[in-house]
Amino acid sequence: MTTPAIKVEGLHFSYGDIEAVKDVSFEVMPGEILGFLGPNGAGKSTTIKVLTGQMPPKSGRAEILGRETGRDDPEIQAQIGVCFEEKNLYLNMSALENLDFFASLYGIRNPDSLGILRRVGLADRAKDRVHSFSKGMRQRMMISRAFINEPKVLFLDEPTDGLDPTTAAQIRTTIKEEADRGAAILLTTHDMNEADQLSDRVAFINEGRIVALDTAENLKLKYGERSVKVRLRDGDGVREERIALDEPGSSARIAELAASPDLMTIHTEEATLEAIFIKLTGRGLE
Amino acid sequence: MERTVSRGAILRALLKKELIAYSRDKLYLFLTLLTLVFVVAIFWIMPDSVDETITLAVSPPVETIIAEGIETFRAMGVPEEQLAELQETELSGEQEGVELVGFDDAAEMTAVIEGTLEAWRTDAGDLVLRDAAADDPRPEGARRVGVDIGIGFPRDFIAQVARGDRGVTVTVYSDAAVPPEIENAMTSFVREAAYQLAGRDLPVTMPDEETVVLGVDRAGDQVSYRDKLVPMLAFMILLMETFSMASLISVEVLQRTVTAVLVTPARIGDVLASKSIFGTGMALAQGVIVLGLVGAFTAENWWLLIVALLLGSMMFTGVAMIVGAAGKDFLGQLFYAMAFTVPLILPALSVLWPGSAALWVQVIPTFPVLDSLVNITLYDAGWDEVWRSFGFAAAWVAVLYGAGLFTLKRKVESL
Repeated sequence: MTTPAIKVEGLHFSYGDIEAVKDVSFEVMPGEILGFLGPNGAGKSTTIKVLTGQMPPKSGRAEILGRETGRDDPEIQAQIGVCFEEKNLYLNMSALENLDFFASLYGIRNPDSLGILRRVGLADRAKDRVHSFSKGMRQRMMISRAFINEPKVLFLDEPTDGLDPTTAAQIRTTIKEEADRGAAILLTTHDMNEADQLSDRVAFINEGRIVALDTAENLKLKYGERSVKVRLRDGDGVREERIALDEPGSSARIAELAASPDLMTIHTEEATLEAIFIKLTGRGLE
Repeated sequence: MERTVSRGAILRALLKKELIAYSRDKLYLFLTLLTLVFVVAIFWIMPDSVDETITLAVSPPVETIIAEGIETFRAMGVPEEQLAELQETELSGEQEGVELVGFDDAAEMTAVIEGTLEAWRTDAGDLVLRDAAADDPRPEGARRVGVDIGIGFPRDFIAQVARGDRGVTVTVYSDAAVPPEIENAMTSFVREAAYQLAGRDLPVTMPDEETVVLGVDRAGDQVSYRDKLVPMLAFMILLMETFSMASLISVEVLQRTVTAVLVTPARIGDVLASKSIFGTGMALAQGVIVLGLVGAFTAENWWLLIVALLLGSMMFTGVAMIVGAAGKDFLGQLFYAMAFTVPLILPALSVLWPGSAALWVQVIPTFPVLDSLVNITLYDAGWDEVWRSFGFAAAWVAVLYGAGLFTLKRKVESL
């Protein structure tokens, strides 16, 4: 049986009297991407801080690659890669210098920094100082830095936040490649589409607590409402009708409308993760 | 992929990064180079000699002594022709570089030499005394007369000499900064005065001389302004390095790059060690360069100077860590930098003026560092003279370095 790369049991963390993470439990297997979906302040980043050893948990247990976190453990740190939400790069150093420096902290003698920059489309700017980079380029630098030690576990905090669609798609492809390599990835985002596209499983986190955890498909099946939207001609106008598939007699009604000469279009409708999140928590993701 | 990395390799990587970051910070690099050039230029511009013109105070005034002498000689039956010669005696112009100022009261004279009273000469030639502490008004149309040395004669000096009394005492009062050459000149002057007042070969034995030094005795230790600058220049370089180091720390904290470092195998101890080594090393190197450029090192003092600079560098690195961790932005950092460094610079300013530093200056952490620099560079002090200052400095280093490490550690952990 494969050991979970990340294993969290009953994790609690508070900032003073404010409880930021409440009884959080989950596992991430090697090669799996777990999407942590929640609004700002839900406890996503705090969970990552605890798991990466930046803060000790108040209670509960967290393991990375079978070793308990929450203490200085170079063995764990050597196997993880972190992409922070804030772009904490050395601005006065070049892209190459940034990667080489972090590679040396992992004891990597001849890092393929240029190869990594090539993967994120920054090879032609390798020798430029980071302060001259655009926001999107800095985000790609953040991703490339997280990859420098070929980590077994990746923590990606809002990796595509604020990026243009092309750059975001490029970064998602790179993240998929890391998962294919075998890295376990904990991806926090408040972008439901990103979670849907990238994640093998999705955890909804709200007010520090996980309210649902499953594959996106299962969540949609469990909490979503399947329906069909039909558009018909109505004199000079257009009439729409929505038929819930789980309602009794829905099949007959669909067949009746499909046979109508006024039928214009007919589409199945699938519940979005955001709709499910709102249904479960009573609040949106923004 | 299993991989191990030694603490030494991490420390080397961090130090290399610090060096790159330092060399890329154009503002502080420019300021560092400018300060280096500036302090060395200042040193060579300052005069390397001491003005040894002495204003000599005499109590009672020479005229009074002569008048009383004439009366004494007249009573002794000396012919009027000889008394007329004595009356025409000019003493003030006969000693090169000496200006005579007469005081009726010996206590007033010593007060002026000590600096508790000011002497002012009016256009009419009158001497006016002013108590600066009492905020007396300054005399109009008068110039300040600086008095460095004074001679106290007995009121009946000539009579005692003429009678051939033994044990006649002339007291020489001297400011701490008066050179020994001038004191020797005073001895000659007293002999000459006695000879001329007597009008013949001294009929009596030479009067005993007594020298009372007011303040710390620096006889033979007079220092030019150029030399006085040496310890201050080293001190200023260390101070400049505080700003540079604080800036590097502040940027790392504000941009949270240190957080990225701490999720690698590097520990907070590695980060603190790299900051400490780099800051201390840079400050020490620049201090050594400056003292080297002004020729302060000798075969005897080089290791003492290195120790003093090392203590100063560590002290200022501690301060830089506090300042760098405390400032939330550039202005905040500037505020804390000024708040910490202005008091620390006060001992350096005290070097420029003669005499002992006030007690409150001596309790400032940088005082023992500066005191040892002063004594080593200006007065050729050896280990026996500076070990106590080194001890106090080391204690302050422990306090400030510890406080700096603690503050920075807390700050990094709170990010």
